[in-house]
Amino acid sequence: MTDDVMRFFAAWMLTHEVADEGLKAAVLRGDEGGPEGMGGGPDAFVDGLAAMVAEEKEKLKRDLEARARGEEVAIETQSDPAFEELRFEVGELRGRLDNIESLLETLVRKSGS
Amino acid sequence: MASRKLAIVAIVARRLIAADPAAGFGFGSAHKRHAAFARAWRLAFEDLGPAFIKLGQLISVRPDEFPDELVAEMQSMQDAVPSLPASAIREVIRQEFAREPEELFATFDDEPLASASIAQVHRATLAKAYKPVWGDVLPAGTALAIKVVRPGAADAIRADIAIARALAERVGRMRIARRFDPVALLDEFATTVDRELDLRVEGRFADRFTFDFRDDPLVVAPRIVWPRTTARVLTMEFMTGWRLSEIDVAKAHGVDTYALAVHGATAFMRQVFVYGRYHADLHPANLFVTPNNTIAYLDFGIVGYLTAEERMNITQVMAALVYRDPERALTYSAKLGVHVAPEHIAPVRAGLGELLDGTFRPDGTRDFAHFGLGFLKLLGEYGVQIPSGYGLLIKSLATVEGVARALYPEIDIVETAKPFTTRILGQAMGDPARLKERMPAALRAALRELVA
Repeated sequence: MTDDVMRFFAAWMLTHEVADEGLKAAVLRGDEGGPEGMGGGPDAFVDGLAAMVAEEKEKLKRDLEARARGEEVAIETQSDPAFEELRFEVGELRGRLDNIESLLETLVRKSGS
Repeated sequence: MASRKLAIVAIVARRLIAADPAAGFGFGSAHKRHAAFARAWRLAFEDLGPAFIKLGQLISVRPDEFPDELVAEMQSMQDAVPSLPASAIREVIRQEFAREPEELFATFDDEPLASASIAQVHRATLAKAYKPVWGDVLPAGTALAIKVVRPGAADAIRADIAIARALAERVGRMRIARRFDPVALLDEFATTVDRELDLRVEGRFADRFTFDFRDDPLVVAPRIVWPRTTARVLTMEFMTGWRLSEIDVAKAHGVDTYALAVHGATAFMRQVFVYGRYHADLHPANLFVTPNNTIAYLDFGIVGYLTAEERMNITQVMAALVYRDPERALTYSAKLGVHVAPEHIAPVRAGLGELLDGTFRPDGTRDFAHFGLGFLKLLGEYGVQIPSGYGLLIKSLATVEGVARALYPEIDIVETAKPFTTRILGQAMGDPARLKERMPAALRAALRELVA
């Protein structure tokens, strides 16, 4: 059983290591593959995506290190998009009401003249 | 109506006959003939007024349907007409509000700011503070731009469209287009113009644009004063700065043209790939820049909309260009309604591959216009019908590239699109519906790899 577990973790580690090497190579290709360098085709997209994820990872790493040093990290806070959308719709509705009210005033003026 | 019909025919005939010498009386080279007659059509459209000027603008964004010479000529169409006297504009305002401009605004300037085929723009100032749909209150005294539809323009345009529709079949037989359906084109045109004639539609889009870019202080649009707006009068914030057509003046005032080019292109990508609604009439006169590098978008008369599915497919096509993947371009173009006949798939794929590899300029940047317009042409050669939205979007992206390169010649718009397309497609991988659909195939592929 012990052997099996050890083999299991060994297999997991090997897979992880191989995948990691593959990912590192993809990140490198994605980083270096500017407009001229990239070979093109479906694999190029995977490389580009890997490079972008690696950038995000570096950012996360920097944030974690800063927090470990006790520094305050500015976390990107975004207000709830649904709430924002609702606020916009209310604003839009108000705009329409302003518009209709103005139209009504015009009609009253016209009918009064 | 009959006399207008005769006048239209007479003006077109006069311009075409006048083009004969330039066309070598039919003996010149094909390009020379096409260019001469395209110019004649453009001049005739300018003579014929608003409806035809707008029709010319529609032709200018359809390189898939019309010959290159005609498209290029229509792009240079001048939509600047002599201004109307202020009394005529004041009369429209009186009809719309039953009040004098001075009762509506703190000040109203009789001198027009601009005059085009459909509308004329005047300056004014806000009489009392107004809370717009989004953003801070506009205080009393805020500078305003008042866009007023020219009197009679709507009726004249609609009457001309009716006549043009009657003439449409004959125009179709004159072989000015490759394979377009003139009646369908005019119907599309009528819808576009109807939207443009109701200025409230433009106002709503401007408000939406302001909301979409609420997190980006460097991209703005004029906010609308709704109590002073009707279908024929649009009251909006006055934007100060320089039009892109005056970029040399802006440069002299220290505007960072590289930052502007990148930010302007990015803002457009965001409209297309993130929101699926975009300004489809971008040209240097519709963009303003300010000394602090803010870009103001103006004139939302022609806009494009994409459904969530179309947006994703367009993103895939753009990713195909970024990563030079012809298979991806064809697969997702088909989902957008670009259907290549099975017997033509191989040559179209080969042609597309050549286009993707040939998009590089000598300076190493990529030429989107070369790819986009070349792709439309390639599809045309194989008789592939192109959905109007697809053609409009490619044309819009090519225009954005042109504008960005006018600001900063070394900009690579394809490279600008890379983070957008990659991130959007990356995020789409986490969509539960997509995961459910793709996971079995992904697991099979992983197992195949492991047992290989």
